Amino acid sequence: MAENDILLSIKDLCVDFSTKEGVVHALKNVSFDIPRGKTIGLVGESGSGKSVTSLATMGLIPNPPGQVTNGQILFKGKDLLTYSESEMRKIRGNHISMIFQEPMTSLNPVFTVGYQIAEVLRLHQGLNHKEARERTLDLLNQVGIPSPHQKIDDYPHELSGGQKQRIMIAMAIGCEPDLLICDEPTTALDVTIQKQVLDLMLDLQTKYDMSMLFITHDLGVIADIADDVVVMYRGEIVEKNKTEEIFIRPQHPYTKGLLACRPPLVKHPKRLVTVSDFMDESGAEKTPPKVVYTDPVRSISETDNPILLDVKGLKKYFPIRGGVFGRVKNQFKAVDDVSFQVRKGRTLGLVGESGCGKTTLGRTVLRLIEPTAGEIIWKGNDIVGLGADDMRKLRRDMQIIFQDPYASLNPRMTIGAAITEPMEIHNIGANKKERLEKAAELLQRCGLPGNVLNRYPHEFSGGQRQRVCIARALAVDPEFIICDESVSALDVSIQAQILNLLLDLQDELNLTYIFISHDLAVVKFISDEVLVMNNGKIVEMADAQTIYTHPKEDYTKRLLSAIPKGIPKTLLDKGIEVLDFSQ
Amino acid sequence: MRYLASKVRGNSLWSDALRRLLDDNLAVFSFLVIVAYVVVAGLASFHLIATHWQDSIGASQSAPQLSGGINHWMGLDIFGRSVFQKTIQGAYTALYVGLVSSLISIPIGVLMGALAGYFGGWVDDLITWIYTTISNIPEILLLVSIAFALGKGIETMCIALGMTSWVGLARLIRAEFIKHKNREYVAAAQALGASNARRIFKHIFPNVLHIVIIGFSLRFVVAIKSEVVLTYLGLGIEIGEGSSWGLMISDAAGELVQGIWWGLASATLAMFPIVLAFSLFTDALRDAFDPKLRT
Repeated sequence: MAENDILLSIKDLCVDFSTKEGVVHALKNVSFDIPRGKTIGLVGESGSGKSVTSLATMGLIPNPPGQVTNGQILFKGKDLLTYSESEMRKIRGNHISMIFQEPMTSLNPVFTVGYQIAEVLRLHQGLNHKEARERTLDLLNQVGIPSPHQKIDDYPHELSGGQKQRIMIAMAIGCEPDLLICDEPTTALDVTIQKQVLDLMLDLQTKYDMSMLFITHDLGVIADIADDVVVMYRGEIVEKNKTEEIFIRPQHPYTKGLLACRPPLVKHPKRLVTVSDFMDESGAEKTPPKVVYTDPVRSISETDNPILLDVKGLKKYFPIRGGVFGRVKNQFKAVDDVSFQVRKGRTLGLVGESGCGKTTLGRTVLRLIEPTAGEIIWKGNDIVGLGADDMRKLRRDMQIIFQDPYASLNPRMTIGAAITEPMEIHNIGANKKERLEKAAELLQRCGLPGNVLNRYPHEFSGGQRQRVCIARALAVDPEFIICDESVSALDVSIQAQILNLLLDLQDELNLTYIFISHDLAVVKFISDEVLVMNNGKIVEMADAQTIYTHPKEDYTKRLLSAIPKGIPKTLLDKGIEVLDFSQ
Repeated sequence: MRYLASKVRGNSLWSDALRRLLDDNLAVFSFLVIVAYVVVAGLASFHLIATHWQDSIGASQSAPQLSGGINHWMGLDIFGRSVFQKTIQGAYTALYVGLVSSLISIPIGVLMGALAGYFGGWVDDLITWIYTTISNIPEILLLVSIAFALGKGIETMCIALGMTSWVGLARLIRAEFIKHKNREYVAAAQALGASNARRIFKHIFPNVLHIVIIGFSLRFVVAIKSEVVLTYLGLGIEIGEGSSWGLMISDAAGELVQGIWWGLASATLAMFPIVLAFSLFTDALRDAFDPKLRT
């Protein structure tokens, strides 16, 4: 490749962060090139250094504590690291733009979106108010905002998440930059919106002949976007290659693990392989176990799998108040006439996009939120009318694991106190000592050492905390657990571990799950039956295999077609549908 | 069993905060100043120092002099009593008022704030109504009426200060409870079968305890200053109940024109370091507990 085809070239970049505990090497000799008009996918999990790389390129490393200790960032042949702050300001937003993960927080809530886009144009391109407004309208058109003349004067809160991300894109491409850095731009969006936004970005890239640096934790997302993929792990580049090569012949064990640990849509493995199957803690390669594929539909027998939970006509309405006296003007129907059954030892998957009412449904079933109407029949008895004391006793049998393991553990309670508390409430174990011993046992069963009982939640990683939450839920020997987006906040490799753990526990303890998620691949992997929800209603319900192979409703079909296949189209066309590196 | 004897100890938010406080030289120094005052006040309350503050030891209104021992360094008052000893006794009174009034106001503030924030609805309306009403009556007016209703004196003043000063803390605690009650860990506790009382006191309360501690420290400064002001106005410490900085300043009102400055100077010089130290220490506490500053 000729030298002038390279737009940005990062050479031996090292970034250190000094913390109280010592110096952290966030980037270690990172080198890669971004050619003109191409897209580079930068893949890694949290803490891999992918965001630090993008911040360094933008000259946005906070100093202190951050410090670029070595290397060059050559943009059109000139080293950006030697630029002064005022010179960098002319580059940022003009020649190199960036789109962030959270469209909700990246826009200033007190200015109209039109003003915010126009501001960039006036600043960098010297347009006057009228010109800037015209260009803004043009940009809004290009990023697919409906009726831009009206939306240009809207405030950010008046737009949906997908629209806000489109606004961010409009702002980023406004000055026709040479390089667009996208830091997890679709992670916070629903799958259908994600697909639209990705398509839009591809269109714009061709139109403006931009280069893109696409940062993500999900290899599936970039399969059809990136020309080359760079895989980062703990501050180092472990592999870089053409996208297709990465997917067919990954070299590094971490890449293999990352590709293999996503639940496949076509086949049904009994357990997911994880990164730790491919490499040990030190990074040495291991031979992974052979993946066992099973029949996705488990048989049901009336004696072993009786109906445990029978929900009939469940409704949860929230009043919408308005006017001077706060009269109820309308009802928001979060859950609207939902009926389903769950069998013992089986998993019901509940899938839908944000705002469809799946979380409200989960919490209403446990009566953490009181239902407006309907029956919740648990082992033959309706629990809707139960008094507070009876309900508390019943909570022993029904548990919930929340999405965010950071928020669902009390920061002021040790792990031991958190796990023994439910036992204390329900009089399990004779004394404190017995309870702590059981807690240690539970932690071990959930894959943590038993000697961490005196530690506080903030000393653990996300995956470890979710294990603690699972141990806490198991402390009361429940029969039934609702997993509310329990793996959504975790890195993909950790996700696979937690999903395996949940399946192991189901086998050992004959647990029953309702598994709520927006991630269809995960739901398909773990569920026997799947329930698709939209606008508070059930759209479709069928066994996991049928719903993916023969969806009946349009909404389900739309949802399914939006899932990233996780494999580049070119490979799918060749008939490669499953990535299995265990052979 | 082997797990229970484990050596793995976590570092809690408290130990983190303590570490940060110890790193802050100004906080440590302020704390030492406070400790020094507490020690002096304690010794005075047990009649170990400044025991003869009521005795005449020389001519009326003698000016400060370095000869004649420490009791003469700050001069003598109109009855020939040592201003030095009176100042020390005044420190005891100030800290006593600070402590007792805080012990009255803080439980009220915490309980009211917690109930209002946690339950919301009519409980919140009622409590908000009560504290809005109290905070709308000028504080001095309220103190005067309580002092008249219960009779003057140091206990009344503590009660009056306690009853009027919980509003600010209740507001803060209410806001924190509203924030915390919707956190997932509280929902998790509910799902595990925890009762309302357990959720309020065992789960949420430890998460807002730092506000109580900061509030306690802040209350102290206000109480010490209020004692002086109220006593000066003749609503606080009665003559004969003990020595107080407020009384000393009140006396100085008539004496200053005669050029007798040492009573006022001693009281204000004694007050200044403790108020400053408490204020600085409160700031340091706030910084130490602020999770946003955590690195």
